[in-house]
Amino acid sequence: MDRDGPQTIRISLDGQAIDAQRGDTVAAALLRAGITTFTRSIKYHRPRGPFCLQGSCGQCLMRIDGAPSLLACRVLAEEGMICQRQNAPLGAEKDIFRAADFLFPEGLDHHHLMTGSRLLGRVALEVARRLAGLGELPDKPRAPVEAELRKARLVIVGAGPAGLAAARAAGDALRAAEGGVLLLEREPRPGGGALLAIDPALPDRDQIAQMALALQGEVMLDSECVGLYANDTALPGNALVAVRQRGRLLLLIAERVLVAVGGASQPLPFAGVDRPGVHAARGLVALPAMVGERLVVVGEGKELVDCARALRRKGYLLERVIALGKSWPAAADLPIEENQPRRALGNPVRALQVGDSRIHCDAVAIAMNPAPLHELASSVGAHARWVAEVGGFPIQVDGEGRTSVPWLFAAGRCAGLGGSAALNSGEAAGRAAGRG
Amino acid sequence: MTADKSIVCACEDVTVHDLEDAVARGYGDIESLKRYTGLGTGPCQGKSCEVAAMRICTSGNKLAPGAQVPFRARPPFAPTAMAEFAGLQAPPPSSEPQPGLRPTWGKGPHPLQPATPLPEKVDVAIIGGGIMGLALAWHLAGEGAGKVLVLERGYLCEGASGRNGGGVRAQWTTPTLIELAKESIAFMGRFAQELGINVWLRKGGYLFLAHDEETLRRIEGSVDLQRKHGLPTRIVTAGEAGEIAPELDTSKFLAASWNPEDGVVFPWPFLWGYAEGARRRGAQVETFTRVTGIETGQGRVRALQTDRGRVAADRIVVACGAWSPQVAKLAGVQLPNVPYRHEIVSSEPLKPFLGPLVTMLGTGLYFSQSMRGEIVGGMGDPQELPGLNQSSSLRFLARYSRALTELVPRLGSVKLLRQWAGCYDVTPDHSPVLGETPGVAGLLQMSGFVGHGFMMAPAVARRMAEWMGGTKDEIFERFALRRFAEGRLEKETFIIG
Ligand SMILES: Cc1cc2nc3c(=O)[nH]c(=O)nc-3n(C[C@H](O)[C@H](O)[C@H](O)COP(=O)(O)OP(=O)(O)OC[C@H]3O[C@@H](n4cnc5c(N)ncnc54)[C@H](O)[C@@H]3O)c2cc1C
Ligand code: FES
Repeated sequence: MDRDGPQTIRISLDGQAIDAQRGDTVAAALLRAGITTFTRSIKYHRPRGPFCLQGSCGQCLMRIDGAPSLLACRVLAEEGMICQRQNAPLGAEKDIFRAADFLFPEGLDHHHLMTGSRLLGRVALEVARRLAGLGELPDKPRAPVEAELRKARLVIVGAGPAGLAAARAAGDALRAAEGGVLLLEREPRPGGGALLAIDPALPDRDQIAQMALALQGEVMLDSECVGLYANDTALPGNALVAVRQRGRLLLLIAERVLVAVGGASQPLPFAGVDRPGVHAARGLVALPAMVGERLVVVGEGKELVDCARALRRKGYLLERVIALGKSWPAAADLPIEENQPRRALGNPVRALQVGDSRIHCDAVAIAMNPAPLHELASSVGAHARWVAEVGGFPIQVDGEGRTSVPWLFAAGRCAGLGGSAALNSGEAAGRAAGRG
Repeated sequence: MTADKSIVCACEDVTVHDLEDAVARGYGDIESLKRYTGLGTGPCQGKSCEVAAMRICTSGNKLAPGAQVPFRARPPFAPTAMAEFAGLQAPPPSSEPQPGLRPTWGKGPHPLQPATPLPEKVDVAIIGGGIMGLALAWHLAGEGAGKVLVLERGYLCEGASGRNGGGVRAQWTTPTLIELAKESIAFMGRFAQELGINVWLRKGGYLFLAHDEETLRRIEGSVDLQRKHGLPTRIVTAGEAGEIAPELDTSKFLAASWNPEDGVVFPWPFLWGYAEGARRRGAQVETFTRVTGIETGQGRVRALQTDRGRVAADRIVVACGAWSPQVAKLAGVQLPNVPYRHEIVSSEPLKPFLGPLVTMLGTGLYFSQSMRGEIVGGMGDPQELPGLNQSSSLRFLARYSRALTELVPRLGSVKLLRQWAGCYDVTPDHSPVLGETPGVAGLLQMSGFVGHGFMMAPAVARRMAEWMGGTKDEIFERFALRRFAEGRLEKETFIIG
């Protein structure tokens, strides 16, 4: 991170100046300034704020420097940056179209709305057309950004514990070979979920740094894999890997691919879960800012316990810790009770109704198991299946991380092998992928 | 004030109530659930709703374990600007045919295949539950054609009918297609009243851009014909086209043909509407049921074999779109149709700025803005090999993004969200194959609609049902399979893609 220059920078939101810390994402800067409504939702114009804070939920979309619908939680704040909220003609705080929300409390069935008459149908069409869409067109044209093309023997996607272990295990011979092993990481630093220091079973920051250092030169940071394709070109290789690197594309032609992309935080479908002030617990742990003082944490099992403790270490006061299931690791230090959240109240949320009681708080944190990110693998035909205990669709692998696609391997949480299993699964898959 | 909704998909504001409603209506398989509710089609691409949806579907053991799979993942997996794809010089495509997609659930029949037996005998069996088959079933059931059965191997929307761009236009170069399209578009305007579900026909017009003199002469010729058929089509200058679609770079083309009455629809509800309508009229529509054989004897059809058993039928209609040659072969019939993949992609939702569907006749680029605000478009690829390949390619994203941002430079930083592919069902003259099959009485063809079957289906299905009921109709002569053997082609040249 650039440590030169002032630590406080200034951005603007809908014309209003906001102070931000250097290194903040736009979302962190706004939350720090107490701004919780980032946008209005597409259909009912409900107020929305960032949920996951890690680029997976799409609830933080904003117009930034003239480009529509960017993820505010993924864009670093820069001096003079102009941020605008979308989909709210009269301002996000008083959006007139929010009438759509309470006029249709049960929801609006757009399939069967006003089908009775052609005239009403045309009215519905006009209204729907006016309300459609989120962002306005970009201010400026953008010319094609020339992409790069490279070859690799093995591409490992994700430099969390599983990906790092896999890269290490892939073998020196392969690493030294031409094209060798490339380890891609979306974030500016390696470590993935381990950087949160939530789970004692995972390597700590120093160990991660050591693992990454030992692989020097092969780790590509700020490199997000956005697509995986079976190679349909005339060039040799099994797979095409499309990678976004700071606003341009890198195309890798690989013999083998190993995905270790982890999981994504999940919300829970109770009333008001989409309101500003409900966040993923992991997102709050990683956020450089605080969202108030008092939290209610809702979740399940070990993830709940780990996240609650991490949030308390961060300085939050835990009003209540609500466990959805019957089982969780013993945690006498936490105010855990088994219950069900009924509704979140207030904008931003100021209370959570649990059973018949209301718990007042500054924000609600949801700590469900992050769901395996199966998309890269399943899009090329690797099987992924629902596993209730995992809370998602892990990629199906054998003991060596082989998927149902011969050139594709998977390890870590995306294969349902998170936490303490991540390192071992990464190592086994890396060794197998290294052998081919 | 904010109402007390339980939102499952925050991108599209889908509630628990919406999901339960969709399941109750029979759209409980994950692909239908996604399409019927819109779940997972927004900027998060399903990463935050698929799990919650599956939790709801699996509670109370409502969903067979084999069907507990994710919906088909669609790249790109993070919103990526077109300018970034446009900068990719995609390597040349392989000369090997590509294997295409594998089923998400693994091997064998779909886990949601019904366990109930099929009827022993029906009057008309329709193979293929795309828009052709379903619309035909609705009309036949309304005409008292006896027992009508539709067999679809996948979910409704599995084929091209669930994968197309929803463009509907009357700008054609043969009188028959102009008339079919006119009738179909008129029907689409009343679809909601007739079949009880909205299809969102938006008449924003069609602009056919001519990039060179030769193309310009072609569109001038077609405008004359179209005006004779009562269409308001006219040639507009590049400047006028730029007023109709203000973001176009008007230096990229010479002129355009313009019909303000053409438009776009939302394809999926047509299938649900026709299927539900056909069932209300007594027809049977069976999904997840594959036809595996056609029995013939003494020069006529006898029965169908399926992966759920045998059904005897007096008449069998092949309405399998791009799969029709494969299915007709089950009866020993050779169709001249050839399947070609066509890819398509949807952008992030933008506020309405583009009225018409715009297409470039030279490159095959086309795009329009959907009712949800997305720019939906595609582009044919001269290097595409024939085959039933429905997988997506990076090459397409690169070619499409380059062509589109050249024509509409302001789209450079607009992000792509979801790509998919379907198959065109291409005949040698780009006209359909309709009616009797020489040598196999009772085997009826309803295929070969290339990349424009959606907009033809309402009219074609009505006329086919009436013709099957005994009404004479020249199109079943004109487009008969016989014509290929007789060397009597019906050339249509206004093909996009
Ligand atoms: C990318 C793309 C864009 C397009 N854009 C447009 C457009 O803008 N406007 C327009 O009018 N048209 C467009 N089309 C064309 C249009 O979608 C098709 O012409 C139309 O949907 C064909 O309908 P269908 O019912 O004949 O075929 P399909 O919809 O393909 O239906 C055939 C069905 O048969 C089923 N089937 C196959 N084999 C079997 C079997 N053995 N047993 C049981 N069932 C079987 C398949 O699963 C499928 O559902 C486009 C097509 C594509 C691919
Ligand atoms: S994507 Fe930014 S908060 Fe979830």
